[in-house]
Amino acid sequence: MTSTLKGITLKGSAEMVAEFFSFGINSILYQRGIYPPETFSRVTHYDMSLQLTTDPKLKNYLTNVVTQLKEWLFECTVQKLVLVITCLETNEVLERWQFDIECDKSAKESSAPREKSIKTIQDEIRSVIRQITATVTFLPLLETPCAFDLLVYTDKDLVVPDKWEESGPQIIDQSEEVRLRSFTTSIHKVNSMVAYKKTDSA
Amino acid sequence: MAEGGDVDWELSKENIQPLRRGRAISALHQALSQQQDGPNSAINQQRQAFESELRMYDGDDPLCVWDRYIKWTEQTFPQGGKESNLTTLLERAVTRFSEEKNYHNDPRYVDFWIKFAENCAEPLDIYRYMQAQGIGVTQASFYIAWSEEHENQGNFRKADLVFQEGFKKCAEPHDRLLQFHKALQARVSRQALLNMEKDSSDEESKQPERVSLAALKHRGKKRAIAPVIRTGSAIKGLSGGLQSNSAPVLSNVSNSRLVIFDENKTEDAGPSEPKLESWAVPPTSRAKENEPKPEKWCDIKMPQKTKYGHTIMAPPPAKPTFQPFVEESDQPPTMTPCKINPAVNMVLSARKPSKEETPLKRLQDQQQQHKEAKAGKLQEQSMYCKELLLSGATEFCFEELRAERYFKKMVQESQEAGTAEKQSNGCF
Repeated sequence: MTSTLKGITLKGSAEMVAEFFSFGINSILYQRGIYPPETFSRVTHYDMSLQLTTDPKLKNYLTNVVTQLKEWLFECTVQKLVLVITCLETNEVLERWQFDIECDKSAKESSAPREKSIKTIQDEIRSVIRQITATVTFLPLLETPCAFDLLVYTDKDLVVPDKWEESGPQIIDQSEEVRLRSFTTSIHKVNSMVAYKKTDSA
Repeated sequence: MAEGGDVDWELSKENIQPLRRGRAISALHQALSQQQDGPNSAINQQRQAFESELRMYDGDDPLCVWDRYIKWTEQTFPQGGKESNLTTLLERAVTRFSEEKNYHNDPRYVDFWIKFAENCAEPLDIYRYMQAQGIGVTQASFYIAWSEEHENQGNFRKADLVFQEGFKKCAEPHDRLLQFHKALQARVSRQALLNMEKDSSDEESKQPERVSLAALKHRGKKRAIAPVIRTGSAIKGLSGGLQSNSAPVLSNVSNSRLVIFDENKTEDAGPSEPKLESWAVPPTSRAKENEPKPEKWCDIKMPQKTKYGHTIMAPPPAKPTFQPFVEESDQPPTMTPCKINPAVNMVLSARKPSKEETPLKRLQDQQQQHKEAKAGKLQEQSMYCKELLLSGATEFCFEELRAERYFKKMVQESQEAGTAEKQSNGCF
């Protein structure tokens, strides 16, 4: 039995989506220059070369987030993951990468795997990451040192874990929004979008 | 599919110049979709509107039209290029206000200059010119752009000096200048750190390297034993081995008759002297491989003995009946057959370094002219509104101007008529 013929279960789907976020966040941090490029190393995944951070603190932080996220994905309680890029000095939000997650909650009841090959899903994920890379064509240059923050939107009744805190939406006023591609594992669907400060030309 | 239309920008991402301020995605979509339409009449109409606005504007801030026009051009022509006319536009804008001192430290005007400099071959000249003219000397953005140019050329010291100059002039906004200066310092120190790391790693690699096929000095007196360590002093000499360096070693010819042709070497000697090589056949145009027709062999005779015992030799051919193939690139340059008298053959000559007209030069010329005009020494005087016709990025004709004025008047009249009517309605 080859892997392409296998269906996908809730657990596998959660893992895949979490993995996508891990690579996606790393890509954005590298692409937008939030961390210096020499702290990244190249790995090959999804048949493309990607940059992964080697900064121990950042790595640790991301692993924590992704592990927690995986749990929530498995429980189907997560709605959104948002990566916010803020100016270090003024704390102004400059970019907002939003990933809307639609969970098919019926997958929690029936454990039967869904019919979708890993290869197709990976193809979809690949095109999303490609598009993230291509956004440099229209995104404004980040001229100041920036920091990033990750926000996760979950269902209301969820208990906030120790390492997390409640926060505002950090929305950019007067923003330009661009929808990126989406992908679905047939259990979780992820829609991507980037918002950035509008140019003052119009 | 909802995202079907959105992939446009991704498909032509290589043709979109990134802008410092980013792009409005709607403008990008529009620009990319209109490109496929061929004659982009909507774009031309908009451009025409800007052009006429430039000429007809009579408010107190003419720079604002230019500002909008330039920004529109940047957004509408994502791939830049000639048809965007951006360089011309910037040049015109920059010259148009070069005499108006109140604009000299207007951030928008300084922005024009910076964009203009970035489009020029020698941006540093432009920045120096700006400084001399006092354009942008109180603007932080001017110093930032100038310093960045120095940094791009690898001159960190000058980049820093530019910032010092900016601080001296109290350029505004001060925070921004300070922040960019800090960022520069951070980059420089990081660079220095990286270089140091690289240097130390270089030293490590300078350890003696084993040369392949090098002759070794043997150890042992009775039996020659090759040494275990085969680097450094253990090597007899490099004569026999493969040369790891590309430097030609011509002193080694003594024990081999073969001189290896080194094309780098001959190029140094220059093509001035034709090399006399006995086997070189003057190339003809027909000298191509496989072109000579096969010939009959049956005519060729073996030397035969006559009855007198002498050998009759077939007369040796004076020339080979075929053209030996000579590679084209191997032609000695001076031996090219030429039918025309070489003294007359001057059709193509090397281009002399022409006086290239840089935008900066044009600018200075114009300023010169302007000064002369002020001094009343002007030789020419155009008796029509030349500035109006030529002021934009494209040229207007008289009729266009007249039409603009006519339409404007019409609109005004109709408005006046409208208000008059309203007033009259109100009376009754």
